[in-house]
Amino acid sequence: MSLTKRRLAFFAGLSIVMVGAWGAAFASDPAHQRHEAMETVQESFKPLRAIAVKETPFDAAVVKKNATTILEKLKEAHGLFPEGSGGGDSRAKAEIWSDRAGFDTAMKNAQAAATAMAAVTDETAYVPAMKTLGGACKACHDKYRLPQQ
Amino acid sequence: MRLPSRRTAAAIAFVLAVAAVGFGWLTQPDPLPASAIPAHTAERTNGELLYRAGSCFACHKAAQGAPDPALPSGGTPFKTPIGVFYPQNLTPDPETGLGRWSEADFVNAMTRGLAPDGRHYFPAFPYMAYRAMRVADLLDLRAYLMSLPPVKAVHPSHSVPQLGLARRGVGLWKRIALARPPFAPATEGSDSWKRGAYLVNAPGHCGECHTPKNWLMLEDLGRYLAGGPHPGGEGKVPSLRGLLAREKYEDASNLTLALQNGEELGYEDLSSGGMAAIQENLAKLPASDVRAIAEYLLSLK
Repeated sequence: MSLTKRRLAFFAGLSIVMVGAWGAAFASDPAHQRHEAMETVQESFKPLRAIAVKETPFDAAVVKKNATTILEKLKEAHGLFPEGSGGGDSRAKAEIWSDRAGFDTAMKNAQAAATAMAAVTDETAYVPAMKTLGGACKACHDKYRLPQQ
Repeated sequence: MRLPSRRTAAAIAFVLAVAAVGFGWLTQPDPLPASAIPAHTAERTNGELLYRAGSCFACHKAAQGAPDPALPSGGTPFKTPIGVFYPQNLTPDPETGLGRWSEADFVNAMTRGLAPDGRHYFPAFPYMAYRAMRVADLLDLRAYLMSLPPVKAVHPSHSVPQLGLARRGVGLWKRIALARPPFAPATEGSDSWKRGAYLVNAPGHCGECHTPKNWLMLEDLGRYLAGGPHPGGEGKVPSLRGLLAREKYEDASNLTLALQNGEELGYEDLSSGGMAAIQENLAKLPASDVRAIAEYLLSLK
């Protein structure tokens, strides 16, 4: 290999490593990770909402599957709010860290509601369970989430 | 430093006196006389509807520790860039609420931003929007508030630098602000759309947050409902324009459901920045009015 070719290979290798490191840093950024988790929660809400507004019929299996995903992702997201991970593009409010106990309670309320939702097998209990779960999301977002960034 | 001569001192005193008289004259209150209020048989149910449409309770909610948290006895701190306000008690308590207010007092507060004693209200109280309300609606709203159980509630005075002078200075601002034409009811379009336009622009005062303000603290009408910085100082208020084009909502039925249910059914854009309290109030409107609001908003390109 000529010197030029070797140099070229070196820089090509270096840039691959750098892009990889940047990607890894981005993927391990807690603000990014919790955002991804919450996006999945939002996606899992759609079939549940369709049942609530009677666009689709009640189906206990669909309810269980989506509520379980919501519960898992809420638990995952809850662990992704380390001190100092607000600011920038994040919609997390400073109150998450200044009122950590309140935030933890709000997050646990949502997890408890998702657990209850996953156990719903009876159509009459469905809409109230949905409103408890959505209400928990709402209460937390009202207090701890910025409208837009 | 040499003291100014007697003549210079007299000249300065004269200029200041003229400025003070001018300021006093320009900031004089201009209330509607009681004779301007038409005779009207108030309908309390319509008043309650307007109370919801204006989300009065969102700002005038009872302060912590109030005897009945569901009544609008006010006093919950309202933070703005110029200071912290403690909203008025809207229950009919004669000492601290609206108990002694005449119909004219109420209409002057809502349409001219004037307290019964003639003091100016800061525009944190959105009279710029309320002045477009029909007088009959204002009187119905007053009748509803007067029908609530009275609550005695004493609030701290607003925490605004130079409160007295600033309050008087609002009179100058009003000279410019109130000279703007208020929202005029639409003459074309479906009845539902016209109703939506009225609810959004007059009692609903959506523009107070969703239309950015210019340097004079007046709504920048070129960016009507286009969103901007959050008036609370953190984050942004979303645009209400192009909601269909941006695929935020599918159609008027979809937005109606969203306004009626908010995040309880997973409509996630209706919880943050204070919108949760507004949505809860809108949810209590008759379905036809929520639908009217949805139709009007979705027509904004």
